[in-house]
Amino acid sequence: MTDSEVPPNPVVLLAAGVVATAVGGAVAAYRGAEQLPVIGHLLRRTRSDLVARGERSLVPIKALIADVAAEVVELVLDHLDLTELVRQRVDLIGLANEVIDGIDLEAVIRQSTDSMTAEVMSDVRSQGERADDAISGFVDRLLGRDRA
Amino acid sequence: MTDRSAGIVSRGAAAVMDFLVVGTLLGLIYGGLRLAELMFRPIMFHVGTVSFLYSTAATCVVSVLYLTACWAVSGSTVGSVVMGLRVTGLRRERLLPVRACLRAVACVLFPVGLLWVVVDARRRSLQDIIFRTKVVYAWH
Repeated sequence: MTDSEVPPNPVVLLAAGVVATAVGGAVAAYRGAEQLPVIGHLLRRTRSDLVARGERSLVPIKALIADVAAEVVELVLDHLDLTELVRQRVDLIGLANEVIDGIDLEAVIRQSTDSMTAEVMSDVRSQGERADDAISGFVDRLLGRDRA
Repeated sequence: MTDRSAGIVSRGAAAVMDFLVVGTLLGLIYGGLRLAELMFRPIMFHVGTVSFLYSTAATCVVSVLYLTACWAVSGSTVGSVVMGLRVTGLRRERLLPVRACLRAVACVLFPVGLLWVVVDARRRSLQDIIFRTKVVYAWH
């Protein structure tokens, strides 16, 4: 559901505008007050103290919320048969077809086959070259030939 | 392509593979001829025995044609491609058809000349010495 489908209520908009104006005014007034000579320093200190206290108190609150959320989710999941739900609501065959269409299986097989073939060929050739060298070395020693 | 001449194992393996390729070609030719005979003279058709002389001559001819074509076109037969070898002249030039044909005839009529690779210091076969060719590793 998008915003364009439900036109916003003018009263709500008016209230939001009033609140925004009031908050903006309060913020501006507070910033102005922070610039004052004696009270400003006090206000700034109080604000930073409050921020630090807020940060400290957020940790246990976050942990509590996470615990509660985990409990709730687990409770919900216990009462849900997800497999049945997916079977009912998701077109699995269509989804699978879409996924398979998205994968270029031919390219994957071609690439893996190419690299495997190249590896085998290179292996055979280097083995042959080593065997050639071994036989040459043996014959050279047999004939008392000195190969550089 | 390196300048190192290939030894007996690589060349021997390539020769065996080429022999198998020639055998397959002969089989295809024989099968084709028999099928053609069946098509054009179905009543007279019978699978006769092939004479030793005829099959030997056919093997020699097909081998020479196969080796000549491969060496003159790319310097590599099927076996050479697998083993990463190439037949070239002494200045690494590709063989001309006549030279390739003569070398092929020599290789087919006297395959034992390949064994000279084992004792030759520069790994040349007798055919290499006669026709001033070399077989090098071309896969590096």
